[in-house]
Amino acid sequence: MNFVVSPKSVDEAVNFLVEHPEARPMSGGASLVAMKNARLIDASHFVSLANIDGLRGIGRVGDSLRIGGMTRHSDIATCDLLKGDLEMIRLAAGQIANSVIRNMGTMGGAIGNADPAADYLPVLACADGEVEITGPDGVRRLPVLDYVLDWYETALELGEIVTAVFLPSPKEARSVYRKLARTPGDYATASVACCAVDQGVRVAVGACGPRPLRSREAEATLAGKMHDVDAIAEFGQALRELADPLDDVRGSSQYRLQLIPRMVSAAIADVMEPV
Amino acid sequence: MQLDGTFTIAASRLQVWEAIRDPGLMARCIPGCEAAEKISEDRYHALIGIKIGPISAKFNLVIDVEEEAAPESIRSKASGEEGSRASMLTARNFLSLMEIESNLTEVSWSSDVNVTGRLGKYGLGLMKKKAKSLSDEFVTVFAKRVETGAVTS
Repeated sequence: MNFVVSPKSVDEAVNFLVEHPEARPMSGGASLVAMKNARLIDASHFVSLANIDGLRGIGRVGDSLRIGGMTRHSDIATCDLLKGDLEMIRLAAGQIANSVIRNMGTMGGAIGNADPAADYLPVLACADGEVEITGPDGVRRLPVLDYVLDWYETALELGEIVTAVFLPSPKEARSVYRKLARTPGDYATASVACCAVDQGVRVAVGACGPRPLRSREAEATLAGKMHDVDAIAEFGQALRELADPLDDVRGSSQYRLQLIPRMVSAAIADVMEPV
Repeated sequence: MQLDGTFTIAASRLQVWEAIRDPGLMARCIPGCEAAEKISEDRYHALIGIKIGPISAKFNLVIDVEEEAAPESIRSKASGEEGSRASMLTARNFLSLMEIESNLTEVSWSSDVNVTGRLGKYGLGLMKKKAKSLSDEFVTVFAKRVETGAVTS
């Protein structure tokens, strides 16, 4: 049997993964193939999801927007449906790596890898996105923050794959994705997703812990005080307290802690209407 | 990387000491440990798997006891490789037991660990976080086992 197998349906892919515990699902392969070539990972097979119908593309489903797991970053970065409070997702996709990788990598693959410094997790957490997971026991959906369990660790069990992401339909509101990186296209040193809601904001911080930082409680406290500098500073502080940043080549944990309140206030200023 | 920690166990110092020198018990407490056996009085062998995200490595470790003062302290070193892969793990460890009360023992440990190879991709910062969560997991399981054993014996 070939090393790469290409099932025609999700069921077929799931069955193969269950029968071959050392096999790995492959979406775009942008990270997976590079890691394999560097001999960082072992696998009995790569189960390519490329030939499965229905995993690619963005469309409305009832009150939600569905982004198929095999949708490429470049398609997300140019999608007209991602506007208003979902525009930050489009902006985040456009800042991933470089155009070659954006033409290759997919949302499902990026989320499956769950790199905390990658760009989707904070925008999806901010947008109240849900990850659709299909596996041997059927389909389940998890909020992004429940989906990421720890550093590079997700709720995905043996045989499960990310088949889609569901988002609430876009609303008329400003949203922004601020990314601080050493150079364009690098993983984030820290990032902030922010969108305006009635009287307030939703904010998620990326690259400062195993999963995005978000506090609905702090968002509720801040609501109605959007032009109160002290309240915004307190809000930034509240998110900073949730952080558990790494020391790595992109910055020390201390540096990241200092970035959080500053980047958060800057992102809030971005989405606020001028007084 | 330098790691250390302190925790207390509701058991006598001797009970904790015996648990530490029991490879079967340790194997059940160490996260990712698939097997552990005593080779000689001062030498143990263990097979330990470590996984971070998609990368996993399995180390064949030899642990040598270099110095011990029963039931107070033990100094050991561990080293091992990952089959034919270029991953390597070495560690120098020190552990001491202090009797706080007759049935309460404080365990202090420190370890200087070096890991090279594919797990190194994630860098030192993440390795430290992972080591911390593994040691927390060990302490929880170990304390529970020793305390349960201490009650029944």
